[in-house]
Amino acid sequence: MSSVVRPDGAEKLAGRAVYGTDLDVPGMRWAALVPAPVAHGRIRRLDLAGARALPGVVAIGPKELAELLPGAAGDPERPLFPPDEIAYLYQPLAAVAAPTLAAARAAVGRVHIEVEPLAVVADLESVFPEWPGSEAGGSPHVAAHVRARHGPVDAAFAAADRVVRETYRTGSIHQVALEPHACLAEWQDGTFRVRTSTQSPFGVREDAASILGVPESSIVVEGTWVGGGFGGKGASLLEPYAMALAVAARAPVRLALSYAEEFRLGRTTLPSVVRFETAVTDGRIAARRVQLLLDVGNSLPGRDFATGYAIGFLLGPYRTPAFEIEGYAVRTNKPPFGPHRAPFAPQCAFMVESHLGEVARQIGVDPEEFRAAHLWRSGDTTPLGQPVGAFGLGAALDAARATARRWRAEAPPGRGIGVGVGFWSTSTGAGAEVRLRLAPEGLTVVQGEREIGSGSVLVGVRAVAARATGLPPGRIGIEYADTARAPYDSGVFGSRTTAAMGRAVLEAWAALRTTLAERLRLPPDTLLALAEDGPAIVVEGGGRRAPVASVLTAEERGAGGLETKGRHFGSGGAIDPQRVLDGSFYPYTDFTGAAHVADVSVDRATGAVRVERYAAFHDLGTTIDAASARAQVEGGIAMGLGTALTEEALWDDSARLENPGLLDYRIPTLGEVPPIEVTLLPGHPGAGPFGAKGIGEPPIIPVPAAVAAAVADATGAHVTELPLTAERVARALKLL
Amino acid sequence: MSRPPLRLTVNGAPHELPDVPGEERLLDTLRWRLGMKGTKEGCRTGDCGACTVLIDRTSVLACLTLAHEVEGGSVTTIESAGEPTLERARAAFQAAGALQCGYCTPGFVVALAGLLAERGASVTEEELLDGLQGNLCRCTGYAAIVRAVRGAREGAP
Repeated sequence: MSSVVRPDGAEKLAGRAVYGTDLDVPGMRWAALVPAPVAHGRIRRLDLAGARALPGVVAIGPKELAELLPGAAGDPERPLFPPDEIAYLYQPLAAVAAPTLAAARAAVGRVHIEVEPLAVVADLESVFPEWPGSEAGGSPHVAAHVRARHGPVDAAFAAADRVVRETYRTGSIHQVALEPHACLAEWQDGTFRVRTSTQSPFGVREDAASILGVPESSIVVEGTWVGGGFGGKGASLLEPYAMALAVAARAPVRLALSYAEEFRLGRTTLPSVVRFETAVTDGRIAARRVQLLLDVGNSLPGRDFATGYAIGFLLGPYRTPAFEIEGYAVRTNKPPFGPHRAPFAPQCAFMVESHLGEVARQIGVDPEEFRAAHLWRSGDTTPLGQPVGAFGLGAALDAARATARRWRAEAPPGRGIGVGVGFWSTSTGAGAEVRLRLAPEGLTVVQGEREIGSGSVLVGVRAVAARATGLPPGRIGIEYADTARAPYDSGVFGSRTTAAMGRAVLEAWAALRTTLAERLRLPPDTLLALAEDGPAIVVEGGGRRAPVASVLTAEERGAGGLETKGRHFGSGGAIDPQRVLDGSFYPYTDFTGAAHVADVSVDRATGAVRVERYAAFHDLGTTIDAASARAQVEGGIAMGLGTALTEEALWDDSARLENPGLLDYRIPTLGEVPPIEVTLLPGHPGAGPFGAKGIGEPPIIPVPAAVAAAVADATGAHVTELPLTAERVARALKLL
Repeated sequence: MSRPPLRLTVNGAPHELPDVPGEERLLDTLRWRLGMKGTKEGCRTGDCGACTVLIDRTSVLACLTLAHEVEGGSVTTIESAGEPTLERARAAFQAAGALQCGYCTPGFVVALAGLLAERGASVTEEELLDGLQGNLCRCTGYAAIVRAVRGAREGAP
């Protein structure tokens, strides 16, 4: 029985929870970053003397950094400060620390910078005005090139009844975690201690060590409460600056971004252009060609993660007998591309669903029927040759279509009902370790992630431990430890946390059970469980019932309990290497699907779209905690409505972000999110404990597709650009 | 000539604060002068509502309020204990599970408490929701918050 009451509720509701922005220690200095004045240029002079002349100010640039931390040049591809060439506007060229924030900002204003401006690449379409040939893979403007092919593509196109060609464009979005990035670094006796708001304390340690050229063993990272992550707090952003300044200032240094800086420096999803060609024969997809140009900003060659990952989503969860797919990661003078809840997957789902809808309309069949007829089913193989395994999207789509039929029957005139689908994977592949500590009074999971809000750690991992051991969740503690004390975990992202850490919990519990069986002189595979007995915990099974206190050694009782360790390094399925012609494609761990229904009204004068109600059907395998899963679906849908309708970071010709604030970058407000019906569908087990699947990202993926289908249903407007702002809908309706 | 000390009451405790510059914002006075970090700093431009506090019984954005504007006034923050409408709002948020990361939560709870105190027992659910339009949440999709608001209104003493 899952409860909606959150274990972290009391602390957060009392205002006692300490986030990154709240960090404050005696003697602390306040830091600020010195922003590049152009998006592309050569640094002719960087003079920090004016800043240093202010009382109590330390200022560091590339030269000072090399003296303070000689290893900091160890990773020339990721310099803390660019020594020569500026790659994007506001890129930090130097950093200052001062006794107050006002003094730090004043010091930034005293830094003298001379720059020789270079040509700015603001728009990926200016790099490739004509669609590139495969030889463009070697261009300095391309960070990655991926290409895959399978089946008789050319023959299928030549013999097709009809070929549908379309081009789509998607915009740039930002995570908009309400807490901007913030951290505090201290340096004492050669050891860094960093407190930060992060989705990955171990990731920050690894990044910071690499960027500063210091051993990981010299860095201890401690997570604070996290005021929203959504992918934006998965890697280090500010920590290495604060750490270097702490060495220079010989004092604790706090560095936090203003919200405008959060928009300007954040790593997130950038624009794309996608070309689809679909060959149809006898009412079925015979072959597809898909080409992707993805803006990856200042991502360096070999460092692009997005293209090979995202491109798999552009084929959609559909049977495709022959295909050719190609993607270019195009470098521009923007900050590097970074993950945003299900990176680029909602955009891909929007494009695939809208395009296949258009194909269906052109051949005169029902768009939902057309998609259902091609949907992957359990046991299918993906176009890239990976087995799909247990996949519940068919059931989800059937349920969504039933709701859509009902809503269409009762909809007032002018309303539109749309269905969209998407798929995702529970990314358990990244490593997870936990320790279980059994004490006479309770069981504790010792682990290294802070709860970022989804409930994946405090609710999910606890629920897995409860289900495995038989103890009620209330008797299971979740202990957070910093990177010096915690077992390793790769981070809270990829819908992996409860799944991967949960699998590690199961392994630690198996080890604990074996030890307990030995001590009770039972066969090692005896199915033991834990139970409450008043304030004490007892071990039960194999005809025995013994207080935990009686099976622990005196040393273990004194040390707080008996500990075992569990780890989980899942493996992705295999992609057929024969189908891959260039670059890296990412295999999925399992497949989870979702089908959504949107009911919209469209203002016929302005093109403004209002979502009136919404329903979501999710293939979740075994539900670990229904209340948290529902909360993830509700929140993910609201975020997806922003991606669908209003959220767009606008870059001008000089690669300057035009709307770095919440007034002009519009996320959904309370009055704009409709009532949402959530249905969790069991029956198709995934890679998590007890057959669970992840639920952090799937809810955002089908939203723009469902909304676009509803807008088309209401008005006939076929919009091929995301977001569907009032202006774009009005243009499609020829109102502008 | 130096400015007289700033006098204000925060959650019932009187404070007399010397040397508060004229441009200091109430948000910074609370967070950095008084060390009360429960009031959150989000956008600092009045767009997100995370820094909502009550002055007397009216909710204001502490990031857009100069500390000296509140001279002689009474400020209620999320750290307040025992204030009846705040406790009601807090209990409703806990019962509905209306929080995830928790960063917008103090602003929502304080704003809801202000609406309950200002409008009294006759307040409608629609009025309460309307009064919270200026508070942004990125995690919950507002669904659980709407349930909490319903609970807080029905839980009227």
